[in-house]
Amino acid sequence: MSGNQELAQEDVATQDLMTPNDGTGTRGGSGFSIRDLNVFYRNLHVLKGISLEVEPHKITVFMGPSGCGKSTLVRVLNRMNDHVEGFRHTGQVLLDGKNIYDSDVDPVLLKTKVGMVFQKPNPFPISIYDNVSFGPKIHKTFKSKDALDVIVQQSLEKAGLWDEVKDRLKTSAMRLSGGQQQRLCIARAIATLPEVILFDEPASALDPGSTAKVEELMVALKKNYTVVLVTHNMQQAARVANKVVFLYKGDIVEIGEPPAMFENPKNPLTEKYISGHLT
Amino acid sequence: MARLIDIGLERVSDILMDMANLSEKSVSAAIESYMTGKPRIEEIRSWSEEIRQLQDDVSELCVDIIARYQPVATDLRFVKAAMDIAYGFSRFGRYAFDIVDVLELCGDLTNCEKGIVELTSKTTREMLKMSVDAFANRDVELAKNVQKMDDFVDDKFREAIDRAVHGKGEDVKCAVSESLILRYLERISDHSSYIGDSVLYIVTGERAPRK
Repeated sequence: MSGNQELAQEDVATQDLMTPNDGTGTRGGSGFSIRDLNVFYRNLHVLKGISLEVEPHKITVFMGPSGCGKSTLVRVLNRMNDHVEGFRHTGQVLLDGKNIYDSDVDPVLLKTKVGMVFQKPNPFPISIYDNVSFGPKIHKTFKSKDALDVIVQQSLEKAGLWDEVKDRLKTSAMRLSGGQQQRLCIARAIATLPEVILFDEPASALDPGSTAKVEELMVALKKNYTVVLVTHNMQQAARVANKVVFLYKGDIVEIGEPPAMFENPKNPLTEKYISGHLT
Repeated sequence: MARLIDIGLERVSDILMDMANLSEKSVSAAIESYMTGKPRIEEIRSWSEEIRQLQDDVSELCVDIIARYQPVATDLRFVKAAMDIAYGFSRFGRYAFDIVDVLELCGDLTNCEKGIVELTSKTTREMLKMSVDAFANRDVELAKNVQKMDDFVDDKFREAIDRAVHGKGEDVKCAVSESLILRYLERISDHSSYIGDSVLYIVTGERAPRK
């Protein structure tokens, strides 16, 4: 490597490519404003007039029994439901004031702004490096190989995985443990420089140690991203949430903040659900 | 179908009611002992010790429930309140013992005027019984009524201190014993009032400011 190349790499490496230099020390700041949202799957009315603010730099948790519409709601936020047969909606989902369902919004570009981490870790059967660099390569968000290396490193660092994989970036992602695979998926989501990260039951298949790491990560990530979490796990909601939205049969029953919502919920239906009386 | 946590919560409730019964019995026996001059210190010491052990049982059960079930909402409030209430009952046992211990310390009190203690103890015992009933029935109104009665007992205690300090020609032994016993009755009334606070917290989630 020539002296100039080393210097160039050093210049790139010392930049935080994941955080715009806007003087705030944070990135993100995008929030959703959901207005009178109705979602249908054919004749099934799944979400009924939902209006909700998802605030930047906070963790908003959607909670509720199976079939309440929480997964549908989170998937609406990056248009994952577009290709579900029979899906239609009314109302608006505004991201920074722009309705993400407007005809001029590219759903693929939207997914770079609104990343998603799923219940089951789903790394691609390629190397760790290639998993993380996949999004930047598709969307061409880097200017040089050095810059891509930095994006991969910083994404893995933000996902709390760098120290564990830095010496084996070229090995298959499938050789990682379940918890490491999930953090790799978080790094992959971060690498596309999203504004919002959606987590759909991200720790339900993980052991307690890996669950704790994912929770710590979510709390750390909210500094730079807007975080939305779907979970059945009330203790997890209580640990990480800034705002909890309790849904039941497609309606918002109660919006509250932990721990107060878990100590003294205002709605009897919330009380029944969190106490295990609602089946 | 009952939830698994309900078995633990019912067990805590049962122990608290046992503590309530022992507490009422101990306080009544202690006051009767003072009024009649008949010493019952060993009996009351044993009840007081039994109540204290039951308080440990409640604490252990509550920790067990927290560890196993991570209670929330009413369950969580009940578990927190149960530990507070168990502490209150343990204090009743202790103050009952302290009341009979006055007889041991002061000796024969046959010639002392006991009308104020008798009057105050009626209110204190009523407050204790009402707080237990409020807990047993989750009766918020009854709990609030307990709190309203607290001032009467406080006043009687303060008057007794005033008499002991400023009174002329008072029998010192009588004045000291009356002041001590009214002090214990005043503390029992306070803890009855705290149990009322706990009932309010279980039912409504409201926290009463501690006086």
